Amino acid sequence: MSKVLIAIFAALVPAAATAADAYTIDPIHSSVNFKVDHLGLAMIHGRFGKFNGKFTIDRAAKTGGADLSIETASVDTGDNDKGSRPRSRDEHLRTADFFNAAEFPRMTFKSSRVVFTGETPSAIEGNFTLLGVTRPVTLQLVRFKCNPATATAKERCGGDARGTLKRSEFGMKRGIPNIGDDIALEIGFEADKD
Amino acid sequence: MISSPWLDHPAVQGGVAPLLAGLIVGLLLIRTRFAWIAVVVGYLVMLTLSGDLAFEPLTASRKVVLAGLGAAGAGIAIDAIRPPYRWLPAILSAAAALAAAWVFISVLRQREGAAFVGAMSGVALFAGALTAAVLRLRDDGIRAGAAGLGLGLAVGIAGILSASIGYLLGGVAVAASSGALLLIQVVARQNLAPGYTGALTIGVLTSYFAAATFLLASLPWFALPLFILVPLAASLRLPETWSQFARAAVASAYVLGAAVLPILAAWYAARGLFT
Repeated sequence: MSKVLIAIFAALVPAAATAADAYTIDPIHSSVNFKVDHLGLAMIHGRFGKFNGKFTIDRAAKTGGADLSIETASVDTGDNDKGSRPRSRDEHLRTADFFNAAEFPRMTFKSSRVVFTGETPSAIEGNFTLLGVTRPVTLQLVRFKCNPATATAKERCGGDARGTLKRSEFGMKRGIPNIGDDIALEIGFEADKD
Repeated sequence: MISSPWLDHPAVQGGVAPLLAGLIVGLLLIRTRFAWIAVVVGYLVMLTLSGDLAFEPLTASRKVVLAGLGAAGAGIAIDAIRPPYRWLPAILSAAAALAAAWVFISVLRQREGAAFVGAMSGVALFAGALTAAVLRLRDDGIRAGAAGLGLGLAVGIAGILSASIGYLLGGVAVAASSGALLLIQVVARQNLAPGYTGALTIGVLTSYFAAATFLLASLPWFALPLFILVPLAASLRLPETWSQFARAAVASAYVLGAAVLPILAAWYAARGLFT
């Protein structure tokens, strides 16, 4: 009996030491925002209201991964009310001129590598898929922190990620250069440990 | 993408450049039966200037371009061979309907059950019917030119009212190049029969533009059958004894009157008056 317990213990210890912790993003306390230049005068800010994602982190092995899936139809630039105009800006953004939400209802980010600085993840390299085109994008983690589990709550991690992509590389060319080519992504996230 | 302040302007990309291309190609080929290649050339000029001439990944909008090129190619081949098949217009219309299902399948499969079947069959039926209506005009250059003008404007204006700049440009490009051929016929005082080269291209392109605006933007479904009234209006009374100018003016008045209907449908839908 004792040999069996020792064998089980020996098998579990290294597994526990190298197992990645998995987290599910809490959409209530997370946001996927973007900004884009307009006419060289000002930045227009927008957000996506519906998304989901997961990430894993193995602090011992300094590895991890992240997946994010965003509903393109949930784009919101604060112009939902068309008023006396035929269409609002957000309605236009959903059409084939921009996000083409009817044909591509989701855009995704899948990590290929997590870069650590010391003990903390500092960047996520991965592939962003938009309009059926996949291109490498790196998200810089300007903050990443975890609060330990308590008697009433699971361990919770959060952070802020920043990245830039050129929309023309994904085939979204309408309006360039009046509407900028560079899209700045700002993702704030909080996630509970699974 | 070609870029300059002038060439970047949508009015140049969709209107002026396709009009000039239509005039040049139409005049160059005026003594052949292929002058109506000008329609697809005008469309290609617009795509080139707006940077939309690409095929990877093969989205529905890019399949529309391929279908337009395919229609022009098929039309040229048919006009060159002149096969004596009585049922050819019906076969081509059915092919346009089937091809519409292929073009839009990536959008349609986002829908389920009855919504999928309804949208698929509706779009295919519409594309086939509009193509058939335009093919009926294939022997009369004035009627076909007016139909191209009216359909292009109707699809383009309904497109922008439905939040699609891409299909505004596409529709206006077809209108401009069709208008160029109308102008050439009036000035040259001769009938340039569009044959299958012109009629099939106009029918396929404008029906797919309208279907794409319905599926990918906000055009209401009930605007689609109204587009078919435009080529039907071009079939109204137009005596052969009239001058080309009088025929072109009256035919244009017919089609522009009919074109107002789908535009109004898009306009009122945009203002929420049907919901």
